Amino acid sequence: MFNKSISTKTPRNLLLLFEILSLVLLLVNQWDNIDKTIYYIWIALILIIYISNFILNRITSGDNYIFLIVSMLMSIGIIMIYRIDSELGFKQLLWFIIGIIAFYFTYFMLKYIRGWKNWGKLYIVLSYILFLITFLLGTRKYGAINWITIGGHSFQPAEITKLLLIFILAFYYSNMDMFKDRKYSDYILMGLVYSFIGLLFLQRDLGTAVIFLGIYMVIQFIHEEKRMNILYNIGLFAVGGTLGYVLFDHVKVRVQTWINPWIYIDNKGYQITQSLFAIAEGGFFGTGIGLGNPEFIPLAYTDFIFSAICEEMGIFIGIGIIMLFMILVYRGFKIALNQNDKFFRILAIGVSTLFGIQSIIIIGGVIKVLPLTGITLPFVSYGGSSILSSFIALGILQISSEDMSYKEEEYCETRK
Amino acid sequence: MKHENRRIIIVLATLCICFVVLIGFMSYFQVFEAEAVKSNSYNKRLWINEEKILRGSIMDRNGTILAYSQENDGVMQRFYKYGNLYSHIIGYSHRAYGKSGLELSYNNYLLDLSESSTIEELKNIVAPSTIGNNLELTIDHGTQEKARTLLQGKKGAIVAMNPITGEIYAMVSLPDFNVNSLSEDWSVISENTNSSLLNRATQGLYPPGSAFKVITASAILDTPNIDTNYVCQGITKIDGYNFSDYNNIAHGELDLSQALIESCNTYFTEKSLEISVDNLRSTAELFMFNKNIPFDLPVNTSVFPKGNIGDTELAASGIGQGKVLATPLNMAMTASAISNNGEVMKPILVKSVVSNNGKVIKTNRREVLSTAVDSLDANTIKEMMVGVVQSGTGRNASIKNVKVAGKTGTAENASGKSHAWFIGFAPADDPRIVVSVILEEEGSTGGASAAPIARDLIIYGLNNINF
Repeated sequence: MFNKSISTKTPRNLLLLFEILSLVLLLVNQWDNIDKTIYYIWIALILIIYISNFILNRITSGDNYIFLIVSMLMSIGIIMIYRIDSELGFKQLLWFIIGIIAFYFTYFMLKYIRGWKNWGKLYIVLSYILFLITFLLGTRKYGAINWITIGGHSFQPAEITKLLLIFILAFYYSNMDMFKDRKYSDYILMGLVYSFIGLLFLQRDLGTAVIFLGIYMVIQFIHEEKRMNILYNIGLFAVGGTLGYVLFDHVKVRVQTWINPWIYIDNKGYQITQSLFAIAEGGFFGTGIGLGNPEFIPLAYTDFIFSAICEEMGIFIGIGIIMLFMILVYRGFKIALNQNDKFFRILAIGVSTLFGIQSIIIIGGVIKVLPLTGITLPFVSYGGSSILSSFIALGILQISSEDMSYKEEEYCETRK
Repeated sequence: MKHENRRIIIVLATLCICFVVLIGFMSYFQVFEAEAVKSNSYNKRLWINEEKILRGSIMDRNGTILAYSQENDGVMQRFYKYGNLYSHIIGYSHRAYGKSGLELSYNNYLLDLSESSTIEELKNIVAPSTIGNNLELTIDHGTQEKARTLLQGKKGAIVAMNPITGEIYAMVSLPDFNVNSLSEDWSVISENTNSSLLNRATQGLYPPGSAFKVITASAILDTPNIDTNYVCQGITKIDGYNFSDYNNIAHGELDLSQALIESCNTYFTEKSLEISVDNLRSTAELFMFNKNIPFDLPVNTSVFPKGNIGDTELAASGIGQGKVLATPLNMAMTASAISNNGEVMKPILVKSVVSNNGKVIKTNRREVLSTAVDSLDANTIKEMMVGVVQSGTGRNASIKNVKVAGKTGTAENASGKSHAWFIGFAPADDPRIVVSVILEEEGSTGGASAAPIARDLIIYGLNNINF
């Protein structure tokens, strides 16, 4: 008992210390035109994180760390976004609160509503409806048609489809007994996933397409009994990738600017080179909050937030962020290993893979290890739909960390 | 189940490896690539300070303004009053072509970005300054103009300095370029073969020829029990290689003084062998050969060959040929040392950095770099150098009523046309100005072409410099 209280309190207090220090820095930096919102931000951020971590410890019997890790990521993100644009920082704080509500909502929905693993058709239908909405109402933003605007708020439906995909895969592989008798069911699933990927390709949302593919491949690799299907999948991916490169100009541009962005510094390579300037300028310890020039980086508050953080807080914080994601992914897979309910185990794997792949793709993109694709860094980037879907995913992971056997028993009893 | 768990761990391991690769690449990038990336001229951060801070002015020792900045409609503009004259000293600060000269080495002072103490740094953060610091140079604008006029039409360099304080009065390198028309001339400047971007005074490496004999003479005086007499036959054979005097004229019986005055090659080649390579090299190194000279501009290191060299090369080194190479600045410092009781002074170009409200931020003080010879020997050589100008090869440098000391040099080189050297100082008894002149590939002797230039510059300097 004693040990447990130490083990979760210490990081919580360290987190508090980090927040106080960086907010003091922000305050000093904006001394000249001080904005009252900073006090609200200050108090609200600390309270929200402190209280929600405190409550969570009371409610859940599962993992206590994943929410702490996410709190740290959110803190870094909000401070950086506030520093770039105080209005956006305030909005992000609101999204954080909405995200926490979504987290608890997901948590209780999954805990007390039964039958999630039987609604496969619903997930599929919902996914297609979301794609349809995107094509009908979508607006083009930064070269991709993946945004819809409802009542003045922009929303990215693919953020929700990502989670639906995980549910579809969990539904399929946890009901293997049912699907074994049906011929070609595995090919139908493959076709389904590739239809999603194809639709994302048409929307020019390459990053999300790669995430879909990654999640599918990982879950297939772990659970597919017909191992040949994995090879087909890889083959299909290779053919599809090559075709995409040859047919679509926007794919070619990504690869060219990845190989040598310096010759396109005026146009196509502008974003990535500005990102590299920022990281180089920051050095190991950064210029200090408020002393760098992240305003030179395009989209510094969303896709390129990692570069902005590296400039002002140094690559040590950058490496810290990478390590936080590493621990988050590790906790996620550990949860999966300990989960006996197959449906929830696959959900846990899917969500952990989502966090892992998404952070690797965007961090790798902005530091030029991978071709750049425009996606958000979960929990750090500004963006309502991204925060919302990430917190829903976290709620899924949280519930998956609990013992589900009672649910199985109750469910069986009610069926009888 | 067991299979599944194993596969879950494989996937986890793969993702972790990806994360570690990201960390590894970031560290690699920061250590090996960041510097080059940062200095790319497309990095707007390089110029952000330039837009906010009025760059400081640069003036000569009498307060004549040489470069200044002005704000026009929120845009900072840099003006250079004398386009070509200071192209190698002040250099340029240009958005497309970067920075050079003092504009580069004193950039942080000019923009008042000094990071002297934590308190200063905090002050910079809280209340960043908007006006940079001014530089006061040791240059005398009149002497600088005179030096350039004297060198006009030739290739080479002139350094004029104070032998006692190390202050540089003039430093000219030709060909030069116009800093006010960089964008129009850049393709010509950067591609032509006469390297006008190179500051020959500090970075040009030339064989010093007979001017080096001053150093060899110092080494001879430093060698105990050496016979300083010699009978010159106009030619001598060392290891099968012939060293001859100018026009093969035999000087007959000579002592050290006469040998230096007549610039006798056979004398110094033969004596070099007696000095031994280690002693000659260590004397040269006391005169800052093979040593880094600390200076406000980039300086190349003068070379005296290292290791165990053969007799032929040692003999050639003794008369400043072979692999011996020197910068005009280093040769000026060599003459300074002789005039200054053997003490080699640190050359100073920026006298002080003064803030906008008149506070002195940095002063470059007189500093002895090394003691090359003891004062007795220095004065002996000084008298010999007076003899060079009075009755020897340097007669063209003599001035009525002023005792000038000097040494000429005519250096053979790969181009076939010899370099003409003259190093000297005046007045010999109370030295105030040291001059080092090199005319690149001039094709005539130092006495004929370099000595008159030195004489004219010394006359101008003695009459006009505010010492």
